[in-house]
Amino acid sequence: MRRYLIPFFFLAPATLLIVLFFFVPVVATILLSFTDLSTTTFKNPSWVGLENYRELLSDPFLKKILLNTAKYVILTLAFNVGMGLVLAFLTSLVPDRIGDPYRALWLLPRILPPVVYVFIWQGLLAEAPMGLVSNLLGVSKNWILAQPWAVVILANGFVGASFGMLIFTSAIRSISKELFYAAAVDGAGTWETIRRVVLPLLAWPILFVTAYQTLSLLTSFEYILLLTDGGPGFYTTEVWSLRAYHLALSNYFGNVEFGLGAAMAAVLVVIGVVVSLFYLKIFNFKNLVSEPKIEVY
Amino acid sequence: MPLLPRNWPLFWVVLTLLTLPILIGVIWLILTAIFDQVHGLFPAGPPDPENWRFLYEGSVGGRPPIWVALKNSAVFAFTVAALELLIASMAAYAISRMKFPFRTPYLGMILVLHAFPAVSLLIAIYYILRVMGLFDTLIGVILVKASLELPLGIWLMKGFFDHLSWDMEMAALVDGASRWLVFWKVALPLVRPGLLALGTFALLSAWGEFILPFTFIVSGKSWTLALYMQSFFREAFVDYGLLAAVGLFYALPVLILFLVGQRYLLNIYSGGVKG
Amino acid sequence: MTGTPLKLKNLTKRFGRVTAVEGINLEVQGGELVAFLGPSGCGKTTTLLMIAGIYRPTEGEIYFGDRRVDHLHPKDRDVGMVFQSYALYPHLTLFENIAFPLRLKRFSEAMIRERVQKTADLLGIGKILDRKPAQVSGGQQQRAALARALVKEPQVLLLDEPLSNLDTQIRLSARAEIRRLQQNLGVTSILVTHDQAEALAMADRVAVFSTGRLQQYDPPEVLYQSPKNTFVAGFVGSPPMNLIEGEFTADGFKRGAFQIPIPGAPIGKGWLGVRPEHLTLSAEGIPAKVMVVETLGREFLVVLDAHGVRLQALIPEGQKPAVNAEVRIKIPPERPHYFDAQGLRIGP
Repeated sequence: MRRYLIPFFFLAPATLLIVLFFFVPVVATILLSFTDLSTTTFKNPSWVGLENYRELLSDPFLKKILLNTAKYVILTLAFNVGMGLVLAFLTSLVPDRIGDPYRALWLLPRILPPVVYVFIWQGLLAEAPMGLVSNLLGVSKNWILAQPWAVVILANGFVGASFGMLIFTSAIRSISKELFYAAAVDGAGTWETIRRVVLPLLAWPILFVTAYQTLSLLTSFEYILLLTDGGPGFYTTEVWSLRAYHLALSNYFGNVEFGLGAAMAAVLVVIGVVVSLFYLKIFNFKNLVSEPKIEVY
Repeated sequence: MPLLPRNWPLFWVVLTLLTLPILIGVIWLILTAIFDQVHGLFPAGPPDPENWRFLYEGSVGGRPPIWVALKNSAVFAFTVAALELLIASMAAYAISRMKFPFRTPYLGMILVLHAFPAVSLLIAIYYILRVMGLFDTLIGVILVKASLELPLGIWLMKGFFDHLSWDMEMAALVDGASRWLVFWKVALPLVRPGLLALGTFALLSAWGEFILPFTFIVSGKSWTLALYMQSFFREAFVDYGLLAAVGLFYALPVLILFLVGQRYLLNIYSGGVKG
Repeated sequence: MTGTPLKLKNLTKRFGRVTAVEGINLEVQGGELVAFLGPSGCGKTTTLLMIAGIYRPTEGEIYFGDRRVDHLHPKDRDVGMVFQSYALYPHLTLFENIAFPLRLKRFSEAMIRERVQKTADLLGIGKILDRKPAQVSGGQQQRAALARALVKEPQVLLLDEPLSNLDTQIRLSARAEIRRLQQNLGVTSILVTHDQAEALAMADRVAVFSTGRLQQYDPPEVLYQSPKNTFVAGFVGSPPMNLIEGEFTADGFKRGAFQIPIPGAPIGKGWLGVRPEHLTLSAEGIPAKVMVVETLGREFLVVLDAHGVRLQALIPEGQKPAVNAEVRIKIPPERPHYFDAQGLRIGP
């Protein structure tokens, strides 16, 4: 045992932090979901078993939230993957010295602080005379309030599309140029080459991006929080993860319901664990053309 | 792609149209920060230094001075990055260069956590921080952020360490250096590109971080720039000029980095740095 | 397939400031197999890619028969090409790979099936068409690539170093097979290679390239026996021709202490060339010292030093000299090649 002292020393800080902020929270989320922890019972919560889950199932807004979540995930995913592909192809069909700056520009939404990014959307979608969109369309509205879903999806999409764009671009670049030459000699024009040679070779990257971002979207809510905070009104854009957050951490109706929020989060956590393990099996990360070094979304 | 189509300028036009919103957004921000009023994209008034009053007025609307928030953001970002670099490198070095029991499962765990949506743990972490007495402290958020970024950092640095040749480390050990010294003086300098890439990711990510400080910090004195700016969102009347100026101030380091290091950013975000 | 003649007229290709290929003029007769031979970077592949349509010439014209093609996209030229890496579509079976050009032409399913099978059988891979490229050997991949090129019965067949990725053992038999196939089909073909033995063995005529220019274009024997300049002389033939730089005087050729009588050579500075197999050990020759003896099996490669001039000779079985021995080496008077100071051939 003594000889492993050195590796343990090197691994200790990381292991400690990972246990403290990954493993313990996973367990804690599930445990908390079985209590009635809230503002009133903070000092001495009691065990309530599956009560929180029963309450969840009988929540009148459950259906709406599920629908919202499905809408958010599916539509944003479609935008992310679709736009990612479009961008990858467009920037690959022009000379690199022209395509590169565009790719860099699409990184900007991702690296800008979310608060600033959201503020820009707010400004552009404001009423006249300030809002650009109001000016262009000739109708003065707060477009975020008027079309919350469109805004949520687009705002998230502009950030998310860059993930797919980068992965697909890498994949396209990894195709040997002789394969393109062969297709041309065989009689394929640009569109046929894309359809018959490039796209089939992008099948795995597309699958990977879809899978990765689905999980990501299921659990993300930061931009929605900043843009609409789940509104306007009652739960127009409230998705599952945001509801969990609100229940546990916002003082909506004066009482924070920690246990209930934890129950909702627990569902996400379990899904997250199962799906992550699943990914590990299916996607041999090392085989991927260019493993992305970036985080969620 | 080789063999570009004859009509590629057409694609250029479409690409430009699609990318226009991003450009428009940045331009709008800058214009609104400078001028009194901006209608759409056209300034409708003189440049307004009042937009920048947060720089010299001390407290704006009862908020802590911007300099406090700036300091907190800087401390947060750099500490997270530093912790990240050190802790992830140490762990990655061990995984890459040392033998120990459960090495493969440990690596597997890192991979799983890398894909795991950490955001779903916020509620539990809130509780844990409260219990530890780290709630509403900058150090608490720093620890959380650094920890949540670890799987990515370890994965990244491991890739770099894997590519090092063994000879130099062996030579150093034979020369009498301790493993720590070998790590610090031989291995780390050789993975500088990786450190730079990870450092960049960590800084950018921490600088913009919103949800963690939002959830775990209440007191104004510990506000980061993200919280400072977001606090204006709740107002009934939005002073776009002021907010845009705050936003520009906040985003300035990122914008400058983007202008200067566009190529580099594109490179590392594509995973193109050799690792 | 009756062979389509090919004509390259003043073909030039520049990439920015760099000139890869300059002023190439040559004609290939229908059904002929021509080799483009030269070291790396000499322009042979660039020229091939211009014929394929992957590169557009900066200047010049290309004709397939009467049809001018240099402005056409590869898909409209009707060429078949085999790439060095074979470039088979990894996600398709060999059948689909070979069928690819026909599918693009919208041939009927029955027609495709028939043609693909026929071509595959011709190349000996008719029974493995359901496999993917990764599942077959290098030699089989090469045949599949060849089948794909030939299935559409192209006017011109282009081969870019098709044998270089094969194991040495298969290379010789593959060489003969390709040649036989090409002759039977009668398809006009161009083969790019850096291996001079390959070019000499397979081609009807060889075009030798160096630094972007055509050095010589002749049948293999002519290239071998009458190289037009010192580059071709030194490149064609293995072991290479001995090229000695010196001066032609009234008494003969001299370089320092090295001197041999040469009948009828024009006076002036220049090069003397002698092939290793034409040097013989003989009592009448010039004195030389044996430096190295390499056993090649059926003969010996002997490196000699004659008055400071390094010569390589091929000595037949039975005459093996000892290392460091002093011998005499004879250059038959009718055998040397003469080149002027610029390296150009003098005489027939």
